[in-house]
Amino acid sequence: MIQTRGFRNRAAGDGFEVRLRLPYYRGLWTNLIEGATITVDGERFAPGDIGWSIGGVRYSPAELRASKTARWPVDVPALLSVPRPQPLSIGFHTVAAELRLRMSYIPEELQPTVWSEERRLVITR
Amino acid sequence: MTEPRFEYGVSLYSYTGEYGVTMTLDDCVEDVADLGATGLEILGEAHVQDYPNPPAAWIDAWFARLERYGLTPTCYGSWVDTRRFGGRPMTVDEAVWQLETDIRLAATLGFRFVRPKLGVVTSDLEPDPVWEPATERVLDLAAEKGIVICPEIHWPSVIRSKVVDDYLAFIERTGTEHFGLLMDTGVFQTRMHHRRGGVASRLGEGSARPPEVPVVPVSDLEDVLDHVVHVQAKFYEIDDDLRDHYIPWAEFLEIIVRRGWSGYLSSEYEGDYGVGRAADQLRRQHALIRRLVTSA
Repeated sequence: MIQTRGFRNRAAGDGFEVRLRLPYYRGLWTNLIEGATITVDGERFAPGDIGWSIGGVRYSPAELRASKTARWPVDVPALLSVPRPQPLSIGFHTVAAELRLRMSYIPEELQPTVWSEERRLVITR
Repeated sequence: MTEPRFEYGVSLYSYTGEYGVTMTLDDCVEDVADLGATGLEILGEAHVQDYPNPPAAWIDAWFARLERYGLTPTCYGSWVDTRRFGGRPMTVDEAVWQLETDIRLAATLGFRFVRPKLGVVTSDLEPDPVWEPATERVLDLAAEKGIVICPEIHWPSVIRSKVVDDYLAFIERTGTEHFGLLMDTGVFQTRMHHRRGGVASRLGEGSARPPEVPVVPVSDLEDVLDHVVHVQAKFYEIDDDLRDHYIPWAEFLEIIVRRGWSGYLSSEYEGDYGVGRAADQLRRQHALIRRLVTSA
């Protein structure tokens, strides 16, 4: 789910970006994305603060939920843009992602489906 | 055993974890042909580029590939995501739009069956009631496009259930020939398999657990087989002695061969993730099934 490629500081120095590949087996209408929580070195960033970009189109979490046409395909990783007062330092960082997706065919009490992964990634500059 | 009339297929779902990572669509399709299957099943939302509007060049490449490998499109998997719009149920119009979109795309790609995976409203997987009026409204389109709509009977659903009774009553009431059942052989699993590998996931935020489901006797299939139009030959693991400890293939094959059932057994590998595993396990399953039907 968490991609090595795409982990970098935002150009303006006001946060960082991380790419997620959809860990599910089919693409989704973006309405079914309940959100992603990103944690870096123990610092947690809430789903509502994270901007999304899929196939070059930017969405706020609210826009993902509202769109009638937007999709997250299996083979198109999403770029998550995370605001932070300072850029991340060059070197290793422990990056965790928790992604919540809403499945319609699973009983409600067993939803959402929550995917989680932690990886050690490198900031190069 | 009498001469089997069913045919062999593979669902590209089997390559989950490899598709787009270690295998391209071309690799997957070539693998299906190489292992000796003739039927190809896909999931629209997984395998069609730019779903639901693939470029013309992609469609051309699709047909060229089928021709090259001698494959016939069988079933196209779709979803009716009834929880798509958050806090409110899906309307009939929205469900009709989704079904029509997939029926048209499936027909464009040469498929005969569309399996809509329906949203559920109860713990025992009763489909959202929107399925019935929405499906009824798309029956004419299905007829025009030569498509049979077939919701799946899938673990933890069982054959003797309100869900199946409601589907059969729908066929009876409408008299349609464009609606049937898809039987997923996971229904007959004799024990649970817990898939290893892949990204960790959990169901829900609380302590709710999936249901305990009694073992469904394969003989229950006899009652509904006349309405079964497609089989997803779900399996989890074939061991090094070509035995399956989860799905009772001999009993299942005895029934469908004796009854002269003539659709596709479309293999759906849902075992552990691992590079090369799907391709190997699919071959084991086909060898197991072919050995059983020739030795009986």
